[in-house]
Amino acid sequence: MPSPALISGFTPLPFSISPGVVHYVYARAHEAPKKAKQSQQWPAGRTLFLVNVPPDATEREITEIFKSCGTIERVSFDSDAPPVEEPDSSDEEEEEEIEETAVDGEEPQRKRRRKDKTKAPRPPQLIPLPSPAIRKLRRTSQSAHVIFLDDSSLPRALVPSSKPRAWPAGDEEPSGLAHYTSLYTSLRPPLDAVRTHADSFMELFEFEQAKLKQKSRYKKGEAVVDEDGFTLVTRGGAYGQAVGGGVTVASKRFQSRGETRSMGRNRKKDTKEKANFYAFQKAEKQRSDLMKLRRDWESTKEQVEKLKASRKFKPY
Amino acid sequence: MAAATLKRKREVEQSVSKERDQTPEISDTGSQGEDDEKPEDEEWNGVNASEPLDVDEELPRGGKHAKVPTGVEVREMKEAAGLFRSSSFKLQIDAILPNVRPKDKHRLPLETFLLSLHTLLMNIPSTSPAQPLDATRPLLKKGVSVPYATPLPTEDSNWKVAFEAPSNIILAGSWNTKTSVKPPLGGQYGIDVAVVMPDSLFQEKDYLNGRFFHKRAFYLATLSAALSSKIDDLKVDLAYHSQMDNPRLTKLVLTPRPGSFKLNVEISIIPVLSTTSPLLLQRLAPSECSVRSAGDDARKPTPMYNTALLTALSPPSHLLSVHKWQQEAAAFTDALTLLRVWANQRGFCEGSRMQVRGFEGKGPWWSTLLGLLVTGEETVGKPKRKPLGRGLSSYQFFKAALDFLATFDFGKERIFLKTGTGHNYPPSEYAETHDAVFVDASSRINLLADVPLGSLDFLKCEAKKTLSVLESASSSFDPFAETFLHDKHALCTRFDAIVRVDLSTAALHDIDKHSIIDHASPHNALLASISRRLRQGLGDRTKAVTLLHPTSSRRPLSQALPSNSHIFYIGLVYDTETAFRQVDHGPDAKDPESAAKEAFQELWGDKAELRMFKDGKIQQSVVWDVKTADEKSHIPIQIVKYLLDIHFGITDGRSWHSSFDTLIRMPEPISKMYAETKQLVGFKGATTAFDNLVKAIKALPEDELPLSILNFVPCSSALRYTSAMAPVPRLAALPANASYVQTIPLIVQFEKSAKWPDDLKAIRVVKMAFFERIASSLMNAIPGLTAAIAIRGEDDNDPTMEVLTPEGWAFAIHIWHDRELTLLNRIIVGDEAQHIKRPGEKKPTKGAEYHDAVAEKEVYLRRFIHGPRHHRAVTKLHHAFPAFSGTTRLVKRWFAAHWLLDGHVSEEAIELLCAHVFAYPQWESDHDANPEAFAASASQVGSKERGFAMVIEFLQSWKWDEGLLVALYDAGSAADGESTEGVGSGQGVWALKTEMDPTGRVWTNKGPDSIVARRIQALARATWGHLGTVETESESILPIFTHPNGDYHFLVELNPSVLPRYHQNVHADLALLSQRHKKFSNLQNTPADEVEVRIGFDPARLFFKDLQRIYANTFRIFWDPLGGDTFGAVWDPTLREPRSFKVLGGFSSAPCPVEAQKGKGKDSKSKDLVVLNEAAVLSEIRRLGQGLVKDVVPQKK
Repeated sequence: MPSPALISGFTPLPFSISPGVVHYVYARAHEAPKKAKQSQQWPAGRTLFLVNVPPDATEREITEIFKSCGTIERVSFDSDAPPVEEPDSSDEEEEEEIEETAVDGEEPQRKRRRKDKTKAPRPPQLIPLPSPAIRKLRRTSQSAHVIFLDDSSLPRALVPSSKPRAWPAGDEEPSGLAHYTSLYTSLRPPLDAVRTHADSFMELFEFEQAKLKQKSRYKKGEAVVDEDGFTLVTRGGAYGQAVGGGVTVASKRFQSRGETRSMGRNRKKDTKEKANFYAFQKAEKQRSDLMKLRRDWESTKEQVEKLKASRKFKPY
Repeated sequence: MAAATLKRKREVEQSVSKERDQTPEISDTGSQGEDDEKPEDEEWNGVNASEPLDVDEELPRGGKHAKVPTGVEVREMKEAAGLFRSSSFKLQIDAILPNVRPKDKHRLPLETFLLSLHTLLMNIPSTSPAQPLDATRPLLKKGVSVPYATPLPTEDSNWKVAFEAPSNIILAGSWNTKTSVKPPLGGQYGIDVAVVMPDSLFQEKDYLNGRFFHKRAFYLATLSAALSSKIDDLKVDLAYHSQMDNPRLTKLVLTPRPGSFKLNVEISIIPVLSTTSPLLLQRLAPSECSVRSAGDDARKPTPMYNTALLTALSPPSHLLSVHKWQQEAAAFTDALTLLRVWANQRGFCEGSRMQVRGFEGKGPWWSTLLGLLVTGEETVGKPKRKPLGRGLSSYQFFKAALDFLATFDFGKERIFLKTGTGHNYPPSEYAETHDAVFVDASSRINLLADVPLGSLDFLKCEAKKTLSVLESASSSFDPFAETFLHDKHALCTRFDAIVRVDLSTAALHDIDKHSIIDHASPHNALLASISRRLRQGLGDRTKAVTLLHPTSSRRPLSQALPSNSHIFYIGLVYDTETAFRQVDHGPDAKDPESAAKEAFQELWGDKAELRMFKDGKIQQSVVWDVKTADEKSHIPIQIVKYLLDIHFGITDGRSWHSSFDTLIRMPEPISKMYAETKQLVGFKGATTAFDNLVKAIKALPEDELPLSILNFVPCSSALRYTSAMAPVPRLAALPANASYVQTIPLIVQFEKSAKWPDDLKAIRVVKMAFFERIASSLMNAIPGLTAAIAIRGEDDNDPTMEVLTPEGWAFAIHIWHDRELTLLNRIIVGDEAQHIKRPGEKKPTKGAEYHDAVAEKEVYLRRFIHGPRHHRAVTKLHHAFPAFSGTTRLVKRWFAAHWLLDGHVSEEAIELLCAHVFAYPQWESDHDANPEAFAASASQVGSKERGFAMVIEFLQSWKWDEGLLVALYDAGSAADGESTEGVGSGQGVWALKTEMDPTGRVWTNKGPDSIVARRIQALARATWGHLGTVETESESILPIFTHPNGDYHFLVELNPSVLPRYHQNVHADLALLSQRHKKFSNLQNTPADEVEVRIGFDPARLFFKDLQRIYANTFRIFWDPLGGDTFGAVWDPTLREPRSFKVLGGFSSAPCPVEAQKGKGKDSKSKDLVVLNEAAVLSEIRRLGQGLVKDVVPQKK
């Protein structure tokens, strides 16, 4: 099957996954978005951008494929990174957006926190749960980035091949029925493993909580004042005290909508006006009642006419 | 237009100031004025600018309606709202009436035809008196036989038959009183021509031994012969017809040939007696014997004979009564029309389909029924029912008639219409000889003489049902359509059980000769006897035992007697309280009265036996032995079959109800293995196991539990009696493909504590730690119990503890901690302290954390808030409606069999659908107030088969885009707004609203989407069609549960030997189930009990869910979660067209071949086209399901 050499700037790389069946992975050199600052995550020049990677592909399998082009530093699947908000229609922008969010979209604070942690005195060690090698099944047509160690590897990876290469079968991670059984087992670790994990986690958690408390700028009962000198007004906590500072007066309504109830005064005014006091009011009311009666009548009539038109009233 | 109005408005505003002193009158009258005056017209409105809203609403309606209604109109509107159910109801009644009546313009040609018929009949020459048998010969030569009825005349009859021209011809019946109602599908308007036979033909004693009927038969035959020579002039066809197949009520039917009249009519010629005839009518009282044979001195009464004779007098007198009632009550005609439309829709009429026995030709009865309401009854002393006011509306009359039908007990009470002259015959005589008594205004004829009580019982049920529809305030259906427009003929939704009976093998030993003579044919005598026996035998088990059969047919003139159809149906409506009891108690053994004992023994035959009961009583009794709960629910059918067998020798009574049972039962080899263990299985077993587990956990020493346990909440269809397959414990001996262990989800709530961490992830870890503590101490406390912790669920991160009890029951326990919701909300709304929303502020961008939190909140709300609530309500529903559980299980099975359950329709959504068929507003309080009356109410569905049919009927006509309000919870139990916010953002289109869930999306958020919903409707239609044929052709019901898979683009065939749920498959191959572990024998030779137990492990389901997730935008996949061994999938049709390449295309693509693109022309980016790489996807599926997938088969269309 002769296929075009380039598709929207992508090189289609054919792979045969089973005899006679070809799967296409589209590859392109990674281009850093113009407006964003230089990406640290995916260095330009030596990052390969892949589209339509098989859903069950593993990092090991992809490494296997591009090993021949040069040493690979890292393989990352985009669906594991924080996803994009809403993909736009234009593909160029789409890709940019992925990178954008990845770049300046706030890297989880957790990471930063972890960095702090390293500096802190003796953080407790987290004992992870046992995790055997399990394939992660991602959505079809996923994209991935392959980062080579060397700039020269990139052009080699982008050479279009006419003959489909075989997709390496990773035996490390089971697939099919075996995948499900090992997934089942891995989700149910032994009880003592759960206990040690939980204990170590809680230790770490408490350590971090304590540190956060120390670091917090605001003490209980202290007002939060911003640069302009305004005091932040917040709602009180469960016992009438705002945790972490603030002056406690705001109502829940104000908190959620940012507006105070302004209806109160107007409503009182409304009730003062008497209905049915003057003769003309009575007459008008009577008239409008009759009009309403008629309107209802006409509208039901219309409805019934409509039903009639749809031959609804032939019982058989 | 719009611009013009705008301009005019501006003018108005300008003119306001100028013309302020203009009087409003101008505008009122000026509505018909010229255009120039228009501004003035609106100017008046401008003055009243204080109510601008009102003005805006009125303006678009135009000048005509903007006027205040006149007095007449106001009265009309007020009446519509007051005298009818609502004004819309009144308008709908007005709309339906002309459609069910003959149009006046069609009457005229018929009148001329009737006139010519009149002259023809008057001029038929007389024949001289002749011996009855001799007289038939000349007629036979013309091809007309004389419809003599039993007892037939003999050679030595010493009386003679003759013909003389009629003394009068009357246009009788509904045609004359203009009360004709269009008969159901294919029927004709009937025109009754009563031909009065001259008095000179009869003698005083003619009432005896059928002589009158013979003379009448000869008269009719002569008329027929005379008309048959003129049929080409008249353009009609002639036929005999006997009402209810009673040869004594034979009439001549003239059917106009097609095209002669616009209106579909048939003309019946009925010979009648004049009031001056010499017959001794006073000798026709109900208890008189009018058929006497020589050696018989017993003189048993012949009530049916007497009634048939008296019917010959009725047409003229009935005509007068109807006319009188019409004069007295203006709405009489309309009310009668409504009543008959209502009855026709329910099979109380004649027609081609199954009809309730006894309501053929009962036109006079319906009008007399309304007449009763107008004039009241003949009673001694104070009447029980007062006649109604004359000025009532048609709807009020109709409702009063239904009310009468719903409350009147025909078995015990009797009706004699007001006559003014007193009773003709002693009323007490009717009680002994007639079943139901409703004597007409002439005080001669019992209009219900030939209607079995069972049919009237059924009429009562239907009337009650309709009354509750009319009185209900529920907005989920249209009461008008429900009452008059919908076809309610289907047997399967109206009867709890249906038995099909073939009469051709019936033995008549139970029927004495006298009864045959009284009923004029063995067939009628047999049916009457069957009806009476069954009603007696079933007693209070049923609310109605009804015989149904097709209407009697016309027969050619050459055939003297009617031919009866042999097939008829027995419909049962259960009283759910009593229908399934196992013992029928008879009279006490010590009872001196032997008549009752004999009657009991006579009824039950060998089954009747003396038994001693716990309270020391010795009683005659009948015990029905049942082995399973399934059999118990078929006791009434068993009784019917038994009675038919011993009394009538009918052995082939067939009902297809029991075949539904196998669908929700495990296959034979598996259930046998369970039976061997003698363990408690099913819902009862699950509930006991649940109670035991709760007890065990609560009994754990205090110090071993981190916090004390507040309560356990069950939340599973296995514990609310609605899972399609009854829950069973694990059994080690089962083959691998039946080894599935179902987990039963539970929720545990601990006491409140301030020590919980304020972080979602930490809460989860704490939960795990809790589980670990409970699990280890539980395993210590109960030997044989195993517990494991699943660190996250399938679609969320909440850890669960899985417990396998020593008996083999599996539970999955969640911990409910209410702080989680707050934390999730905090993520979704954002930190309160940082984000006080200012109006106009830009929304912060939503990251992955936000989306995860939204998804988790949805799971949280469903699992911990809605789930337990739903569980409680459904459990209650199960206790209130015994058939609910079975219905839901069948419906779930149906959804599963059509590959929709779980993947597209959630179990809870199906439970709600089924609840809709059962529950009505306030059912809960009704049930609590008076459980017995509740069980006896008309809306109770008595069998799961009927419930199933009702759900299917509902599904096939449900307009799902309109949503549905299910009265699962009592009104007023309002939901807290928070628990439902955020749901309904999915692609589901069904809105199943409850009081607790005003959005209706809690259980249908994920599906079905509109495509699947349409498919469900199509499947329901096909199923409904099949149900309709099952009842008449007694086919198998299995096709209903067989999924047509021809529409799928490709099928993924799974290997049944590795599917742990294969035994639940509808069409499971039993051979595959019995070969145990054969597949694995070469791999590892582990004994069965050492194989690792995986609770709730269903690889097929995991694989299915993975495919559904991975290829969400590529294809739509379907599967039967109950042991299905095939997935079916449909490609997204848009992907199969070449399209331009996109990075996030969301599907596996291949570049389009260059040649293929050339044909496409010079599109903008034609060389970048890609197309769905089907082969690659299929091979991916094969790889992902290694060991599970047998083959992936693309289907060609």
